[in-house]
Amino acid sequence: MALCEAEKTFVLHGVEENFRVDGREREDYRPMELETDIVSHAFGSARLRLANTDILVAVKIEVDVPFPESPHQGKIEFFVDCSANATPDFEGRGGEDLAVTISSTLSSAYSSSLAFDLRKLCILHGRKCWKLYVDILILECGGNLFDAVSLAVKAALWNTQVPFVKNINIDGNNVEINVADDLYACERLDVKKAPVMVTVCKIGDKCIVDPNAAEEQCSVGSVVVAVSGNKFSTVYQTGKGSLHPSTLIESLKLGFEVAKRLDEALWETLSQIQPDQDVGFLK
Amino acid sequence: MPVDHKRINGPDETYPYSLYAKTNKQSLNEKHEDIKRTGQRSDSRTFLEHRKIFIKTGVVSQAKGSAYIELENTKVIVSVFDPREIPNRPDYSLKGEIYCEFKYAPFSCNKRRLHIQDTEEKQYSAIMKQALESTVCSHEFPNFQVDIYAMVLHNDGSCLSAAITAAGLALAHAGVPMYDIITSVSLGIQQDNLFIDPTNEEQSICLYPRTLDTDHGNVIISKLHMHNQISQFYQSGNISLEKINEAIGILDKTCEELVPVIQKYLVKHVIRNLKDREAK
Repeated sequence: MALCEAEKTFVLHGVEENFRVDGREREDYRPMELETDIVSHAFGSARLRLANTDILVAVKIEVDVPFPESPHQGKIEFFVDCSANATPDFEGRGGEDLAVTISSTLSSAYSSSLAFDLRKLCILHGRKCWKLYVDILILECGGNLFDAVSLAVKAALWNTQVPFVKNINIDGNNVEINVADDLYACERLDVKKAPVMVTVCKIGDKCIVDPNAAEEQCSVGSVVVAVSGNKFSTVYQTGKGSLHPSTLIESLKLGFEVAKRLDEALWETLSQIQPDQDVGFLK
Repeated sequence: MPVDHKRINGPDETYPYSLYAKTNKQSLNEKHEDIKRTGQRSDSRTFLEHRKIFIKTGVVSQAKGSAYIELENTKVIVSVFDPREIPNRPDYSLKGEIYCEFKYAPFSCNKRRLHIQDTEEKQYSAIMKQALESTVCSHEFPNFQVDIYAMVLHNDGSCLSAAITAAGLALAHAGVPMYDIITSVSLGIQQDNLFIDPTNEEQSICLYPRTLDTDHGNVIISKLHMHNQISQFYQSGNISLEKINEAIGILDKTCEELVPVIQKYLVKHVIRNLKDREAK
Protein backbone atom coordinates (compact mmCIF):
# COMPACT_ATOMS: atom_id res chain seq x y z
CA MET A 1 0.00 0.00 0.00
CA ALA A 2 1.49 3.30 -1.06
CA LEU A 3 0.20 6.68 0.03
CA CYS A 4 0.68 9.97 -1.77
CA GLU A 5 1.67 13.15 0.05
CA ALA A 6 -1.91 14.48 0.14
CA GLU A 7 -3.19 11.30 1.75
CA LYS A 8 -0.42 11.44 4.32
CA THR A 9 -1.28 15.03 5.15
CA PHE A 10 -4.91 14.04 5.54
CA VAL A 11 -4.01 11.31 8.02
CA LEU A 12 -1.69 13.66 9.88
CA HIS A 13 -4.33 16.38 10.22
CA GLY A 14 -6.82 13.83 11.42
CA VAL A 15 -4.46 12.74 14.18
CA GLU A 16 -3.86 16.37 15.08
CA GLU A 17 -7.63 16.92 15.49
CA ASN A 18 -8.04 13.72 17.53
CA PHE A 19 -10.35 12.36 14.82
CA ARG A 20 -8.64 9.68 12.81
CA VAL A 21 -9.51 8.45 9.31
CA ASP A 22 -11.75 5.70 10.64
CA GLY A 23 -13.40 7.96 13.22
CA ARG A 24 -11.43 6.80 16.23
CA GLU A 25 -9.75 8.97 18.83
CA ARG A 26 -6.02 8.76 19.40
CA GLU A 27 -6.21 6.23 22.21
CA ASP A 28 -8.91 4.01 20.74
CA TYR A 29 -8.52 0.47 19.52
CA ARG A 30 -10.30 -1.11 16.60
CA PRO A 31 -12.82 -3.83 17.39
CA MET A 32 -11.33 -7.21 18.22
CA GLU A 33 -12.56 -10.75 17.96
CA LEU A 34 -11.06 -13.51 20.05
CA GLU A 35 -11.70 -17.22 20.20
CA THR A 36 -9.75 -19.91 21.97
CA ASP A 37 -9.28 -23.64 21.69
CA ILE A 38 -9.74 -23.91 17.95
CA VAL A 39 -6.82 -26.16 17.00
CA SER A 40 -7.52 -29.66 18.24
CA HIS A 41 -3.96 -30.94 17.79
CA ALA A 42 -2.52 -28.20 19.98
CA PHE A 43 -2.47 -28.02 23.77
CA GLY A 44 -3.80 -24.50 23.62
CA SER A 45 -4.70 -22.13 20.84
CA ALA A 46 -6.27 -18.79 20.13
CA ARG A 47 -7.26 -16.75 17.14
CA LEU A 48 -7.42 -13.00 17.29
CA ARG A 49 -8.80 -10.69 14.69
CA LEU A 50 -8.09 -6.99 15.07
CA ALA A 51 -9.87 -5.27 12.19
CA ASN A 52 -7.92 -6.68 9.23
CA THR A 53 -5.14 -8.31 11.19
CA ASP A 54 -5.65 -11.99 11.74
CA ILE A 55 -3.41 -14.01 14.05
CA LEU A 56 -3.55 -17.69 14.88
CA VAL A 57 -1.48 -18.96 17.80
CA ALA A 58 -1.06 -22.60 18.79
CA VAL A 59 0.93 -23.97 21.72
CA LYS A 60 2.58 -27.37 21.59
CA ILE A 61 4.20 -28.98 24.61
CA GLU A 62 7.11 -31.39 24.60
CA VAL A 63 9.36 -32.94 27.21
CA ASP A 64 12.91 -31.61 27.20
CA VAL A 65 16.02 -31.36 29.34
CA PRO A 66 16.47 -28.03 31.17
CA PHE A 67 19.47 -25.83 30.42
CA PRO A 68 22.29 -26.59 32.86
CA GLU A 69 22.57 -22.88 33.75
CA SER A 70 18.92 -22.88 34.86
CA PRO A 71 18.15 -26.46 35.96
CA HIS A 72 14.97 -25.47 37.78
CA GLN A 73 13.25 -23.86 34.78
CA GLY A 74 11.25 -25.04 31.82
CA LYS A 75 11.57 -23.55 28.37
CA ILE A 76 9.45 -21.43 26.12
CA GLU A 77 10.13 -20.57 22.51
CA PHE A 78 8.30 -18.35 20.06
CA PHE A 79 8.14 -18.90 16.33
CA VAL A 80 6.53 -16.34 14.06
CA ASP A 81 5.55 -17.25 10.55
CA CYS A 82 4.90 -14.32 8.25
CA SER A 83 3.48 -16.26 5.34
CA ALA A 84 2.93 -14.70 1.94
CA ASN A 85 -0.77 -15.27 2.57
CA ALA A 86 -0.82 -12.13 4.70
CA THR A 87 0.70 -9.70 2.24
CA PRO A 88 2.75 -10.19 -0.93
CA ASP A 89 5.63 -8.33 0.77
CA PHE A 90 6.28 -11.43 2.84
CA GLU A 91 6.94 -13.55 -0.20
CA GLY A 92 10.16 -15.58 -0.14
CA ARG A 93 12.30 -14.34 2.73
CA GLY A 94 10.61 -10.95 2.82
CA GLY A 95 8.91 -11.46 6.15
CA GLU A 96 11.90 -12.97 7.89
CA ASP A 97 13.23 -9.79 9.49
CA LEU A 98 9.82 -8.89 10.86
CA ALA A 99 9.33 -12.44 12.13
CA VAL A 100 12.66 -12.37 13.97
CA THR A 101 11.86 -8.97 15.46
CA ILE A 102 8.46 -10.07 16.73
CA SER A 103 9.67 -13.38 18.15
CA SER A 104 12.70 -11.85 19.87
CA THR A 105 10.60 -9.06 21.34
CA LEU A 106 8.18 -11.67 22.63
CA SER A 107 10.87 -13.82 24.20
CA SER A 108 12.43 -10.74 25.74
CA ALA A 109 9.05 -9.75 27.17
CA TYR A 110 8.49 -13.23 28.62
CA SER A 111 12.07 -13.59 29.89
CA SER A 112 11.61 -12.13 33.37
CA SER A 113 10.33 -14.66 35.89
CA LEU A 114 8.05 -11.93 37.26
CA ALA A 115 6.26 -11.81 33.91
CA PHE A 116 6.06 -15.52 33.24
CA ASP A 117 7.34 -18.09 35.71
CA LEU A 118 9.19 -20.89 33.94
CA ARG A 119 9.87 -22.69 37.21
CA LYS A 120 6.37 -24.19 37.13
CA LEU A 121 7.30 -26.01 33.92
CA CYS A 122 10.10 -27.95 35.58
CA ILE A 123 9.26 -31.63 36.10
CA LEU A 124 12.45 -32.95 37.68
CA HIS A 125 15.25 -30.62 38.71
CA GLY A 126 18.02 -30.61 36.07
CA ARG A 127 16.61 -33.67 34.27
CA LYS A 128 13.20 -33.07 32.76
CA CYS A 129 11.06 -30.07 31.98
CA TRP A 130 8.23 -29.03 29.71
CA LYS A 131 9.05 -27.00 26.67
CA LEU A 132 6.37 -24.75 25.23
CA TYR A 133 6.49 -24.15 21.50
CA VAL A 134 4.40 -21.10 20.74
CA ASP A 135 3.74 -20.97 17.01
CA ILE A 136 2.34 -17.73 15.70
CA LEU A 137 0.83 -17.64 12.26
CA ILE A 138 0.02 -14.32 10.65
CA LEU A 139 -2.95 -14.97 8.41
CA GLU A 140 -3.75 -11.44 7.41
CA CYS A 141 -1.84 -8.25 7.90
CA GLY A 142 -3.74 -5.04 8.59
CA GLY A 143 -1.25 -3.17 10.73
CA ASN A 144 -0.38 -3.27 14.41
CA LEU A 145 1.06 -6.78 14.46
CA PHE A 146 2.85 -6.53 17.80
CA ASP A 147 -0.29 -5.79 19.82
CA ALA A 148 -2.38 -8.42 18.09
CA VAL A 149 0.31 -11.08 18.43
CA SER A 150 0.88 -10.42 22.13
CA LEU A 151 -2.85 -10.62 22.91
CA ALA A 152 -3.26 -13.80 20.92
CA VAL A 153 -0.23 -15.37 22.61
CA LYS A 154 -1.54 -14.49 26.03
CA ALA A 155 -4.93 -15.97 25.20
CA ALA A 156 -3.35 -19.14 23.79
CA LEU A 157 -1.19 -19.59 26.89
CA TRP A 158 -4.25 -19.00 29.07
CA ASN A 159 -5.97 -21.75 27.13
CA THR A 160 -2.99 -24.12 27.32
CA GLN A 161 -3.41 -27.29 29.32
CA VAL A 162 -0.21 -28.80 30.64
CA PRO A 163 -0.54 -32.55 31.18
CA PHE A 164 -0.65 -33.54 34.83
CA VAL A 165 2.35 -35.62 35.90
CA LYS A 166 1.18 -38.41 38.18
CA ASN A 167 4.52 -39.80 39.22
CA ILE A 168 8.16 -40.02 38.19
CA ASN A 169 10.25 -43.18 38.27
CA ILE A 170 13.99 -42.74 38.43
CA ASP A 171 16.13 -45.70 37.57
CA GLY A 172 19.77 -44.67 37.33
CA ASN A 173 19.97 -42.39 34.31
CA ASN A 174 16.50 -43.25 33.09
CA VAL A 175 13.69 -40.98 34.09
CA GLU A 176 10.22 -42.22 33.40
CA ILE A 177 7.34 -39.81 33.53
CA ASN A 178 3.83 -41.04 34.05
CA VAL A 179 1.13 -38.69 32.91
CA ALA A 180 -2.32 -38.93 34.45
CA ASP A 181 -4.62 -41.33 32.56
CA ASP A 182 -7.52 -38.94 32.65
CA LEU A 183 -7.26 -36.73 29.56
CA TYR A 184 -8.94 -33.87 31.32
CA ALA A 185 -6.59 -33.86 34.30
CA CYS A 186 -4.51 -30.89 33.27
CA GLU A 187 -2.90 -27.90 34.83
CA ARG A 188 -3.48 -24.39 33.57
CA LEU A 189 -0.61 -21.93 33.24
CA ASP A 190 -0.53 -18.80 35.33
CA VAL A 191 -0.69 -16.00 32.79
CA LYS A 192 -2.11 -13.24 34.95
CA LYS A 193 1.08 -11.22 34.51
CA ALA A 194 1.95 -12.29 30.97
CA PRO A 195 2.93 -9.16 29.06
CA VAL A 196 0.60 -7.26 26.75
CA MET A 197 2.25 -5.20 24.04
CA VAL A 198 1.10 -1.83 22.80
CA THR A 199 2.62 -0.02 19.85
CA VAL A 200 2.67 3.72 20.39
CA CYS A 201 3.04 5.40 17.04
CA LYS A 202 4.21 8.97 16.59
CA ILE A 203 2.48 10.88 13.82
CA GLY A 204 3.29 14.56 13.55
CA ASP A 205 3.54 15.82 17.12
CA LYS A 206 1.02 13.40 18.59
CA CYS A 207 1.14 9.75 19.60
CA ILE A 208 -1.57 7.23 18.72
CA VAL A 209 -2.18 3.59 19.51
CA ASP A 210 -3.32 0.80 17.21
CA PRO A 211 -2.31 2.33 13.87
CA ASN A 212 -3.82 0.86 10.74
CA ALA A 213 -1.68 0.17 7.69
CA ALA A 214 -2.11 3.71 6.33
CA GLU A 215 -1.21 5.33 9.64
CA GLU A 216 1.82 3.09 10.03
CA GLN A 217 3.16 4.57 6.81
CA CYS A 218 2.81 8.13 8.07
CA SER A 219 4.68 7.47 11.26
CA VAL A 220 8.32 8.40 11.69
CA GLY A 221 8.94 6.22 14.69
CA SER A 222 7.13 4.07 17.17
CA VAL A 223 7.74 2.43 20.51
CA VAL A 224 6.55 -1.07 21.36
CA VAL A 225 5.79 -1.30 25.05
CA ALA A 226 5.29 -4.66 26.75
CA VAL A 227 3.58 -4.25 30.10
CA SER A 228 3.31 -7.03 32.65
CA GLY A 229 1.24 -6.25 35.73
CA ASN A 230 2.28 -2.70 36.57
CA LYS A 231 5.82 -2.89 35.25
CA PHE A 232 7.46 -2.69 31.85
CA SER A 233 8.87 -6.00 30.74
CA THR A 234 10.23 -4.81 27.41
CA VAL A 235 10.42 -1.57 25.50
CA TYR A 236 11.57 -1.67 21.90
CA GLN A 237 11.83 1.23 19.53
CA THR A 238 11.00 0.61 15.88
CA GLY A 239 10.73 2.66 12.73
CA LYS A 240 13.25 4.68 10.81
CA GLY A 241 13.14 7.87 12.85
CA SER A 242 14.40 8.97 16.22
CA LEU A 243 12.54 10.44 19.19
CA HIS A 244 13.17 13.30 21.59
CA PRO A 245 13.71 12.07 25.18
CA SER A 246 10.53 13.81 26.38
CA THR A 247 8.50 12.23 23.55
CA LEU A 248 9.87 8.86 24.52
CA ILE A 249 8.82 9.28 28.14
CA GLU A 250 5.41 10.54 27.03
CA SER A 251 4.85 7.56 24.76
CA LEU A 252 5.93 5.19 27.52
CA LYS A 253 3.29 6.73 29.78
CA LEU A 254 0.62 6.51 27.11
CA GLY A 255 1.55 2.93 26.26
CA PHE A 256 1.47 1.96 29.93
CA GLU A 257 -2.04 3.34 30.48
CA VAL A 258 -3.42 1.78 27.31
CA ALA A 259 -1.77 -1.58 27.99
CA LYS A 260 -3.36 -1.77 31.43
CA ARG A 261 -6.81 -1.08 30.00
CA LEU A 262 -6.22 -3.59 27.22
CA ASP A 263 -5.07 -6.23 29.69
CA GLU A 264 -8.22 -5.74 31.79
CA ALA A 265 -10.41 -6.03 28.71
CA LEU A 266 -8.64 -9.19 27.60
CA TRP A 267 -8.95 -10.72 31.03
CA GLU A 268 -12.66 -9.97 31.15
CA THR A 269 -13.16 -11.53 27.71
CA LEU A 270 -11.23 -14.63 28.66
CA SER A 271 -13.27 -15.09 31.81
CA GLN A 272 -16.48 -15.03 29.73
CA ILE A 273 -15.35 -17.81 27.43
CA GLN A 274 -17.38 -20.96 28.02
CA PRO A 275 -15.96 -24.42 27.34
CA ASP A 276 -18.40 -25.53 24.64
CA GLN A 277 -18.88 -22.52 22.44
CA ASP A 278 -19.13 -22.64 18.67
CA VAL A 279 -15.74 -21.97 17.22
CA GLY A 280 -14.06 -21.77 13.84
CA PHE A 281 -13.35 -19.38 11.07
CA LEU A 282 -16.89 -19.41 9.70
CA LYS A 283 -18.95 -19.32 12.85
CA MET B 1 19.23 -26.03 14.15
CA PRO B 2 21.27 -25.89 10.91
CA VAL B 3 24.92 -26.93 11.24
CA ASP B 4 27.80 -25.86 9.04
CA HIS B 5 29.23 -29.17 7.81
CA LYS B 6 32.34 -27.64 6.30
CA ARG B 7 33.67 -26.83 9.75
CA ILE B 8 34.64 -29.29 12.39
CA ASN B 9 32.01 -28.76 15.02
CA GLY B 10 32.32 -29.98 18.57
CA PRO B 11 29.85 -32.45 20.00
CA ASP B 12 26.25 -31.31 19.78
CA GLU B 13 25.71 -30.79 23.47
CA THR B 14 28.63 -29.38 25.43
CA TYR B 15 28.64 -27.03 28.36
CA PRO B 16 31.42 -25.07 30.01
CA TYR B 17 32.74 -27.02 32.97
CA SER B 18 32.58 -23.92 35.17
CA LEU B 19 28.82 -24.46 35.44
CA TYR B 20 29.47 -27.57 37.50
CA ALA B 21 32.46 -26.30 39.49
CA LYS B 22 31.60 -25.52 43.09
CA THR B 23 34.91 -24.01 44.18
CA ASN B 24 35.26 -20.29 44.71
CA LYS B 25 31.78 -19.58 43.46
CA GLN B 26 29.80 -16.87 45.05
CA SER B 27 26.20 -16.84 43.98
CA LEU B 28 24.96 -13.78 42.15
CA ASN B 29 22.77 -12.88 45.09
CA GLU B 30 25.75 -12.83 47.43
CA LYS B 31 27.69 -10.72 44.97
CA HIS B 32 24.85 -8.21 44.78
CA GLU B 33 24.64 -8.21 48.58
CA ASP B 34 28.35 -7.38 48.74
CA ILE B 35 28.00 -4.55 46.26
CA LYS B 36 25.03 -3.17 48.15
CA ARG B 37 26.87 -3.29 51.46
CA THR B 38 30.10 -1.68 50.30
CA GLY B 39 28.45 0.72 47.84
CA GLN B 40 31.21 -0.09 45.40
CA ARG B 41 31.30 -2.25 42.30
CA SER B 42 33.76 -5.09 41.87
CA ASP B 43 36.05 -2.97 39.71
CA SER B 44 35.84 -0.13 42.30
CA ARG B 45 33.77 2.14 40.09
CA THR B 46 30.87 4.16 41.46
CA PHE B 47 27.40 3.13 40.25
CA LEU B 48 27.08 5.91 37.69
CA GLU B 49 30.62 5.76 36.38
CA HIS B 50 31.33 4.60 32.84
CA ARG B 51 34.38 2.47 32.16
CA LYS B 52 37.36 4.08 30.48
CA ILE B 53 37.15 3.99 26.71
CA PHE B 54 39.82 3.31 24.16
CA ILE B 55 38.94 3.85 20.50
CA LYS B 56 40.88 3.64 17.30
CA THR B 57 39.89 3.82 13.65
CA GLY B 58 41.44 2.29 10.56
CA VAL B 59 42.16 -1.08 12.12
CA VAL B 60 40.88 -3.10 9.15
CA SER B 61 42.79 -2.14 6.03
CA GLN B 62 40.41 -3.87 3.60
CA ALA B 63 37.33 -2.07 4.90
CA LYS B 64 36.26 1.41 3.86
CA GLY B 65 36.02 2.41 7.49
CA SER B 66 36.63 0.57 10.71
CA ALA B 67 36.80 1.17 14.43
CA TYR B 68 37.98 -0.72 17.46
CA ILE B 69 36.59 -0.01 20.90
CA GLU B 70 37.67 -1.21 24.31
CA LEU B 71 35.72 -0.73 27.51
CA GLU B 72 38.40 -2.33 29.67
CA ASN B 73 37.65 -5.99 28.99
CA THR B 74 34.89 -5.55 26.42
CA LYS B 75 36.49 -5.47 23.00
CA VAL B 76 34.57 -4.91 19.80
CA ILE B 77 35.75 -4.39 16.24
CA VAL B 78 33.45 -2.83 13.63
CA SER B 79 34.02 -2.50 9.90
CA VAL B 80 32.02 -0.62 7.28
CA PHE B 81 32.24 -1.59 3.64
CA ASP B 82 31.73 0.33 0.39
CA PRO B 83 28.15 0.93 -0.69
CA ARG B 84 26.85 -1.64 -3.12
CA GLU B 85 23.56 -2.01 -4.90
CA ILE B 86 20.81 -3.35 -2.66
CA PRO B 87 20.72 -7.08 -3.43
CA ASN B 88 17.49 -8.81 -4.54
CA ARG B 89 15.56 -5.62 -5.05
CA PRO B 90 13.79 -5.24 -8.39
CA ASP B 91 12.62 -1.63 -8.01
CA TYR B 92 14.70 1.51 -7.56
CA SER B 93 14.75 2.80 -4.01
CA LEU B 94 15.07 6.55 -3.46
CA LYS B 95 16.76 5.99 -0.14
CA GLY B 96 19.84 4.02 0.71
CA GLU B 97 19.83 1.25 3.25
CA ILE B 98 22.15 -0.05 5.87
CA TYR B 99 22.75 -3.65 6.78
CA CYS B 100 24.05 -4.57 10.23
CA GLU B 101 25.47 -7.81 11.44
CA PHE B 102 26.34 -8.27 15.09
CA LYS B 103 28.40 -11.33 15.92
CA TYR B 104 30.10 -12.74 18.98
CA ALA B 105 33.44 -14.37 18.23
CA PRO B 106 33.28 -18.09 19.15
CA PHE B 107 35.74 -17.54 22.01
CA SER B 108 34.33 -14.24 23.28
CA CYS B 109 31.94 -15.53 25.96
CA ASN B 110 32.03 -18.10 28.73
CA LYS B 111 30.17 -20.52 26.55
CA ARG B 112 31.45 -21.14 23.04
CA ARG B 113 29.42 -19.37 20.38
CA LEU B 114 28.53 -21.02 17.11
CA HIS B 115 29.47 -19.58 13.74
CA ILE B 116 25.86 -19.16 12.77
CA GLN B 117 24.03 -16.13 14.13
CA ASP B 118 21.76 -17.14 17.00
CA THR B 119 18.55 -15.34 17.93
CA GLU B 120 20.28 -13.02 20.40
CA GLU B 121 22.73 -11.90 17.75
CA LYS B 122 19.95 -11.43 15.22
CA GLN B 123 18.06 -9.29 17.71
CA TYR B 124 21.15 -7.22 18.45
CA SER B 125 21.71 -6.75 14.70
CA ALA B 126 18.17 -5.39 14.42
CA ILE B 127 18.73 -3.03 17.37
CA MET B 128 21.98 -1.84 15.84
CA LYS B 129 20.24 -1.17 12.55
CA GLN B 130 17.51 0.76 14.35
CA ALA B 131 20.14 2.90 16.10
CA LEU B 132 22.18 3.68 12.99
CA GLU B 133 19.34 4.08 10.50
CA SER B 134 18.43 7.56 11.70
CA THR B 135 22.09 8.61 11.92
CA VAL B 136 23.12 8.19 8.29
CA CYS B 137 21.79 10.46 5.52
CA SER B 138 20.22 7.66 3.53
CA HIS B 139 19.05 9.99 0.75
CA GLU B 140 22.70 10.63 -0.15
CA PHE B 141 23.23 7.11 -1.48
CA PRO B 142 19.98 6.10 -3.21
CA ASN B 143 19.54 2.45 -4.14
CA PHE B 144 22.74 1.53 -2.32
CA GLN B 145 23.39 -0.45 0.79
CA VAL B 146 26.17 0.09 3.32
CA ASP B 147 27.24 -3.04 5.18
CA ILE B 148 28.29 -2.77 8.81
CA TYR B 149 29.79 -5.76 10.60
CA ALA B 150 30.41 -5.78 14.35
CA MET B 151 32.46 -8.54 15.91
CA VAL B 152 32.78 -8.92 19.66
CA LEU B 153 36.24 -10.21 20.52
CA HIS B 154 35.78 -10.24 24.27
CA ASN B 155 32.47 -9.98 26.06
CA ASP B 156 32.53 -8.29 29.42
CA GLY B 157 29.10 -6.70 29.31
CA SER B 158 27.65 -3.73 27.37
CA CYS B 159 28.79 -5.19 24.03
CA LEU B 160 25.87 -3.86 22.06
CA SER B 161 26.29 -0.26 23.19
CA ALA B 162 30.03 -0.46 22.55
CA ALA B 163 29.32 -1.81 19.06
CA ILE B 164 26.86 1.00 18.28
CA THR B 165 29.26 3.72 19.45
CA ALA B 166 32.08 2.15 17.44
CA ALA B 167 29.85 1.71 14.39
CA GLY B 168 29.06 5.45 14.47
CA LEU B 169 32.77 6.18 14.45
CA ALA B 170 33.46 3.61 11.72
CA LEU B 171 30.75 5.16 9.53
CA ALA B 172 32.37 8.56 9.98
CA HIS B 173 35.74 7.04 9.15
CA ALA B 174 34.30 5.49 6.01
CA GLY B 175 33.05 8.90 4.91
CA VAL B 176 29.38 7.90 4.94
CA PRO B 177 27.32 11.10 5.23
CA MET B 178 25.87 11.36 8.74
CA TYR B 179 23.61 13.74 10.60
CA ASP B 180 25.28 13.49 13.95
CA ILE B 181 27.62 11.72 16.33
CA ILE B 182 25.99 8.70 17.90
CA THR B 183 26.83 7.40 21.37
CA SER B 184 25.28 4.49 23.17
CA VAL B 185 25.28 3.42 26.82
CA SER B 186 23.84 0.42 28.70
CA LEU B 187 22.44 0.36 32.19
CA GLY B 188 21.63 -2.51 34.52
CA ILE B 189 18.97 -2.29 37.21
CA GLN B 190 18.65 -4.52 40.26
CA GLN B 191 16.37 -3.26 43.06
CA ASP B 192 17.53 0.28 43.84
CA ASN B 193 20.98 -0.12 42.34
CA LEU B 194 21.63 1.28 38.89
CA PHE B 195 24.76 0.07 37.14
CA ILE B 196 25.95 2.29 34.32
CA ASP B 197 27.93 0.36 31.72
CA PRO B 198 27.51 -3.01 33.47
CA THR B 199 30.12 -5.74 33.24
CA ASN B 200 29.11 -9.25 32.30
CA GLU B 201 28.73 -10.21 35.95
CA GLU B 202 26.59 -7.17 36.72
CA GLN B 203 24.42 -7.91 33.71
CA SER B 204 23.73 -11.38 35.05
CA ILE B 205 22.96 -9.92 38.47
CA CYS B 206 20.31 -7.78 36.77
CA LEU B 207 18.91 -10.67 34.74
CA TYR B 208 16.85 -12.31 37.49
CA PRO B 209 14.58 -10.73 40.07
CA ARG B 210 15.80 -11.16 43.64
CA THR B 211 12.41 -10.91 45.26
CA LEU B 212 8.88 -10.66 44.01
CA ASP B 213 7.92 -7.24 42.74
CA THR B 214 11.37 -5.67 42.49
CA ASP B 215 12.81 -3.87 39.54
CA HIS B 216 15.42 -5.66 37.50
CA GLY B 217 16.58 -5.51 33.92
CA ASN B 218 18.84 -3.97 31.35
CA VAL B 219 18.37 -0.79 29.32
CA ILE B 220 20.27 0.34 26.23
CA ILE B 221 19.97 3.79 24.75
CA SER B 222 21.55 5.40 21.68
CA LYS B 223 21.58 9.13 21.29
CA LEU B 224 22.24 11.68 18.59
CA HIS B 225 24.12 14.38 20.40
CA MET B 226 23.46 17.66 18.52
CA HIS B 227 19.83 16.94 17.69
CA ASN B 228 19.13 15.63 21.18
CA GLN B 229 17.26 12.67 19.76
CA ILE B 230 17.06 9.08 20.94
CA SER B 231 17.58 6.88 17.91
CA GLN B 232 17.24 3.59 19.73
CA PHE B 233 15.83 2.45 23.05
CA TYR B 234 15.63 -1.09 24.29
CA GLN B 235 14.71 -2.40 27.70
CA SER B 236 14.23 -5.89 29.05
CA GLY B 237 13.44 -7.28 32.49
CA ASN B 238 10.76 -5.88 34.73
CA ILE B 239 10.96 -2.18 35.52
CA SER B 240 8.46 0.38 36.80
CA LEU B 241 7.67 3.58 34.93
CA GLU B 242 9.39 5.81 37.50
CA LYS B 243 12.58 3.78 37.34
CA ILE B 244 12.59 3.94 33.54
CA ASN B 245 12.21 7.70 33.64
CA GLU B 246 15.11 7.90 36.05
CA ALA B 247 17.17 5.57 33.87
CA ILE B 248 16.49 7.60 30.73
CA GLY B 249 17.69 10.75 32.51
CA ILE B 250 20.90 9.11 33.69
CA LEU B 251 21.62 7.40 30.38
CA ASP B 252 20.98 10.66 28.54
CA LYS B 253 23.64 12.38 30.65
CA THR B 254 26.16 9.57 30.29
CA CYS B 255 25.73 9.54 26.50
CA GLU B 256 26.63 13.24 26.53
CA GLU B 257 29.76 12.46 28.53
CA LEU B 258 31.00 10.12 25.83
CA VAL B 259 30.64 12.67 23.03
CA PRO B 260 33.91 14.61 23.73
CA VAL B 261 35.89 11.35 23.49
CA ILE B 262 34.48 10.64 20.03
CA GLN B 263 34.81 14.28 18.94
CA LYS B 264 38.40 14.43 20.06
CA TYR B 265 39.19 11.31 18.14
CA LEU B 266 37.49 12.57 14.98
CA VAL B 267 39.39 15.86 15.12
CA LYS B 268 42.63 13.95 15.53
CA HIS B 269 41.71 11.81 12.57
CA VAL B 270 41.01 14.84 10.36
CA ILE B 271 44.27 16.54 11.34
CA ARG B 272 46.22 13.39 10.57
CA ASN B 273 44.56 13.06 7.18
CA LEU B 274 45.34 16.69 6.30
CA LYS B 275 48.97 16.20 7.29
CA ASP B 276 49.17 13.08 5.16
CA ARG B 277 47.82 14.99 2.20
CA GLU B 278 50.33 17.80 2.69
CA ALA B 279 53.14 15.32 2.86
CA LYS B 280 52.09 13.94 -0.52
